[in-house]
Amino acid sequence: MQTVAKLIDTTLCIGCKACEVACQEWNDQEFTMGVFNNTYQTMPDLAPNFWNLIKFNELEIDGAQSWLMAKYQCMHCADAGCIAACPAPGAIMRLPNGIVDFAQDHCIGCGYCITGCPFDVPRLCAKTKKVYKCSLCSDRVAVGLEPSCIKACPTSCLTFGSRDDLKFAADKRAADLRKSGFQQAGVYDGPGVGGTNVIYVLKHADRPTDYGLPKNPSIPWTVQLWKGPVKLLGNLVFVGGLLAAFVHFIRVGPKESHDE
Amino acid sequence: MSSARVTRFSSAERLTHWLTAISFLYAGLSGLAIWSRRMWWAAIALGGGETVRAWHPIAGVVFALLLATMFRRWSAQMRLDADDKRWLAVSHKYAVHQEGGVPESGRFNAGQKMLFWLQSSSAILLFASGAVLWFPELMPRTLRLAAILIHPIASVASIGGIIVHIYMSTLVVPGALRAMLRGWVTPAWAASHHAKWFREIK
Amino acid sequence: MTNGWTDVANADVVLVMGGNPAENHPVGFRFVMEARRKRNAKLVVIDPRFNRTSAVADLYVPMRAGTDIAFLGGIIHYTLEKKLFHDEYVKLHTNAAFLIKDGFDFAEGYFSGWNAEKKNYDRASWQYDLDAQGHAKVDPTLENPRCVFQLMKKHYARYTPQAVANIVGCTAEEFESAAAIICSTGKPDRSGTILYALGWTQHSHSVQLIHTAAMMQLLLGNIGRPGGGVNAQRGHSNIQGSTDMGSWNNLPGYLKIPRANHATLDDWLKAYTPKALRPNSMNYWKNTPAFMTSLLKAYYGKSASKQNGFAYENLPKAGETENYGWGSFFDQMHKGAIDGFISFGMNPVANGPNTPKMLEALAKLKWMVMVENFETETATFWDAKKLGDKYYSTYKDPKQIDTEVFLLPAACFAEKDGTFVNSSRWLQWKRAALPPPGDAKPDQEIIARIFLRVRELYEKEGGRGARPLLDMTWDYTNPISPSLEEVARESNGRDVNTGKQVAGFGELRDDGSTACGCWIYSGSWTEAGNMMARRGQEDPTGLGLFPGYSWSWPANRRILYNRASADAEGKGFDPARTPIRWDGTRWSGDVADYKGDAKPTDFGAFIMLPEGVAKLFAADLLEGPFPEHYEPVESPVANPLHKSVSSNPMATVFKGPLDPLGDVKEFPYVAITYRLTEHFHYWTKHVASSAGLQSNFFVEVPAQLAKEKGIKGGDLVRVRSARGSVEGPALVTKRIRPLKVEGKTIYQVGIPIHWGFIGRTRGPLVNNLTPSAYDPNSGTPEYKGFLVSLEKL
Repeated sequence: MQTVAKLIDTTLCIGCKACEVACQEWNDQEFTMGVFNNTYQTMPDLAPNFWNLIKFNELEIDGAQSWLMAKYQCMHCADAGCIAACPAPGAIMRLPNGIVDFAQDHCIGCGYCITGCPFDVPRLCAKTKKVYKCSLCSDRVAVGLEPSCIKACPTSCLTFGSRDDLKFAADKRAADLRKSGFQQAGVYDGPGVGGTNVIYVLKHADRPTDYGLPKNPSIPWTVQLWKGPVKLLGNLVFVGGLLAAFVHFIRVGPKESHDE
Repeated sequence: MSSARVTRFSSAERLTHWLTAISFLYAGLSGLAIWSRRMWWAAIALGGGETVRAWHPIAGVVFALLLATMFRRWSAQMRLDADDKRWLAVSHKYAVHQEGGVPESGRFNAGQKMLFWLQSSSAILLFASGAVLWFPELMPRTLRLAAILIHPIASVASIGGIIVHIYMSTLVVPGALRAMLRGWVTPAWAASHHAKWFREIK
Repeated sequence: MTNGWTDVANADVVLVMGGNPAENHPVGFRFVMEARRKRNAKLVVIDPRFNRTSAVADLYVPMRAGTDIAFLGGIIHYTLEKKLFHDEYVKLHTNAAFLIKDGFDFAEGYFSGWNAEKKNYDRASWQYDLDAQGHAKVDPTLENPRCVFQLMKKHYARYTPQAVANIVGCTAEEFESAAAIICSTGKPDRSGTILYALGWTQHSHSVQLIHTAAMMQLLLGNIGRPGGGVNAQRGHSNIQGSTDMGSWNNLPGYLKIPRANHATLDDWLKAYTPKALRPNSMNYWKNTPAFMTSLLKAYYGKSASKQNGFAYENLPKAGETENYGWGSFFDQMHKGAIDGFISFGMNPVANGPNTPKMLEALAKLKWMVMVENFETETATFWDAKKLGDKYYSTYKDPKQIDTEVFLLPAACFAEKDGTFVNSSRWLQWKRAALPPPGDAKPDQEIIARIFLRVRELYEKEGGRGARPLLDMTWDYTNPISPSLEEVARESNGRDVNTGKQVAGFGELRDDGSTACGCWIYSGSWTEAGNMMARRGQEDPTGLGLFPGYSWSWPANRRILYNRASADAEGKGFDPARTPIRWDGTRWSGDVADYKGDAKPTDFGAFIMLPEGVAKLFAADLLEGPFPEHYEPVESPVANPLHKSVSSNPMATVFKGPLDPLGDVKEFPYVAITYRLTEHFHYWTKHVASSAGLQSNFFVEVPAQLAKEKGIKGGDLVRVRSARGSVEGPALVTKRIRPLKVEGKTIYQVGIPIHWGFIGRTRGPLVNNLTPSAYDPNSGTPEYKGFLVSLEKL
């Protein structure tokens, strides 16, 4: 099966929030009253019932006023930190089409995925004790539809298709931007996590943090250490301990008390 | 063979020990379920993933509180003295039951004292990192990233120590289990394993 | 729009000024993005705020609210000075060569003919120099000092980059970099479009401002061209339709309102049927008698005959110079001259300027009928003291208000069929998605029920002025709720003898043999059926005109003035983008804005104008034939061009006790009001999703001003004008830059509309602040650029 992907050409994003509305409506999630934080953002951050947020970052770049708008949601990594960290079998799966999907039925609400995610995307609901995030509309994609955010986007900032095609389109768009004078234009698709199925075209690819994206995202080293060497060491200790005891018992045996 | 009984652990000590052990068992088993998918059967046995997620930290808190009582009771007796240090230096002899050159022990031998300190320090780490992992939505990311590594490392140490402890107390030292269950040992047992202590109380 | 949304994708340069399409027309804005993606088009934004459109622009230039004419006048000067204009186009398609009478002049802020006593102009000296046949004299070389071209050059000689920068507040370099991009479209193979909206219309000099834009586009040869034009982005889904149908100051199809001095149809026709001003002028409005007669036949049917002047006398007549604009209407109401008010989907307390005055005016009514989807501020105006206590503490108690208020629940847009006429002039037929809830009824049923009941009362009891009601044709299948299909067929028009639908307005006659409800809609529902319901996606010209998709007035023409895209011989200026082609016998492509089989040399390209060419010089407007920069009525500086005549001398400014104006000493900052993507007017604060997307009212404060005042983001501030105040959290931003005007630092404060004292999310009404000042031609209030003070609470 082909790996699907979403392309976000931030140079075409106008912060209209149509994707936010489409996401809420398709996923049957209520709108809550937003919190004012001195920006145009709907809310300061993602929430368990709000999976798709346009971030508005106001800053000056080389002395010129900029207002960078970027959609913020699950990146659907090939090497997903949430999957790496998740202890509950069946709670997070990577579908054959590349979508990283949460099955709340199996989620135990430990929140490890939140810590494992290099993009800080999953959100734990205090009421249901389950974690939620963008599913890339896996239900729509399964029946041949594009994700709802893509359908709602008025400027073609968002497109959906096979990852290979979109990677090609993204590279071409970035090259075009560089040609028309944006030297730093580039593609952001998280090579550190084996590539993400959400691909960004950034005008200032040299400064992804200005868009609210981490520089060189990868699974956190503590999670890697835990899932790798620590786990190995632990297994060694546990199994080795039992084995050593067994051998000790056979070879040395109990230490009897002296008779008086 | 003498039928005299020497009291080794008071009933309060025994109760605390076993409650601690039960909470440890629950926290440890449920923790192991979260540690490895190969141990997921433990989660199912303990009530399912969501139950385990809810009760593991509570068991952890219970364990920590009980351990704190044990600590208050025993920490003074757990200080390592000069004999203990020598004991540790020749612990390989102790392991194979060679007696020559192994110093006599007090109420607790140096190995038990080390276990005590290992459990106490790993419990502090487990408690602190566990609190962070309990409420991930309230904790800053850096803390969570540290906790997610510290918690398993501390539990490896703790469980590793407990494996040795259980093996020693059940299979290696006959009478030790009875001491913790019923509270008494024979004078011979006391003289063999904790000669210094036996002399003190005689 | 002269061109239409899909055509924006054909542009090489998109100038966004007085609009903010990324925020307020995000769906249409896709065509701007398409132009950028596919043609590498440049997007230039000139606006007081660095807004969401600016965020994706190639060039952003800040400006002071209300100084657009200075900026555009500067571009006219730049174009002429550097000879960047489209020479052939200007000579062929504009009145540049026309000679103006001796005596026309401009000095010290006034054009010739100013009557200081009456405070208006005698426009006699603004007229063309006519020959014996009544045709304007021309000088094709453009060298005669009395020709429009030379007069224009002289008029705008004052608008140097430095002078513009000094008025507007940007730097001369910023102005010149914008001018260079915009003027690059003066070449025959390049075209540039303008997208504007309320940022241009809501000034006390707004019509002149749009005239300036038209002049600029004519000089650059951008009118009638794909990717060109002057394009008004309409704000409501069917506001274009309501304008077309004569929502306030005209009859349907832009026929003029009869006035007291037009007692008979002949008087009216004489006044409003123009005469050709050049030998080659088609002067299409000469057909006005056919349009007007057909309209009267549609209104009065059998009661309209040649003998009775087609019952013209039934039409109400406005006083000779009476103004029925918004401001005058509510001023009259405030003076107690109006008894009753019926409002369909209109919320004057919220959306009219000077809310305190609105509240007082409504309290003078005997009765008011509100037809609405939600309970609005206007429907609950009588409770404003309680609902908006912070702002209206001195307002009357409900007990002191005698106005009887009827709130009728109306079906919303998705619960009705009919048409939306969009900014592109496309009439798009739609179907109802679901039935209206509860007692809600579609507008036409509410109108019909009131009409039938009132007529019945007149029939039974008689009374003054009964004829217009008794004569009215009302032969709908279901008179109580006329089907909109029948109304649409009536708008298209038919032959009254055969009963057949006419194919277009060319078939309309002035002898009473045709009836037509809106001549420009003729062709929308022909014998072939409902053309507005078509959804064909063919694009034969490859220019994105989609002639088979819905139906565009007039005559399904997609680009107005498209004859001007070609030279005298009919050859397109840009061979790659020719909307129409002349094959020797006929024009093909888009529906030609011309006679379909007339030779290119037969007529001037602008067939609707008596001149036959477009007007750089236009004597039609009240304040002068050339646009001149005037300051807003409330301005922080005196007009740098002529200090004694600072603001528009013809502006409609009310002077009642509730119409105070503020002074810069007390109110040092310029305020602008505007809309946000997340909301639609004062309507979506009732809707969960929109209320959630932007829940909080806020005041945008320039970072430097905030620093001076010790205001941090989120701090509560109060903005006050001479009329009233608003309070809300400050959004501190560098996106509103301080400007240097006449050596002074000018701060602008931004205040989004959308909130009010009723709805899911509430906040102050920004029109507490706005002045009772209006454009004299259009009657549009000056919401952009008035004076306020700012304090931290």
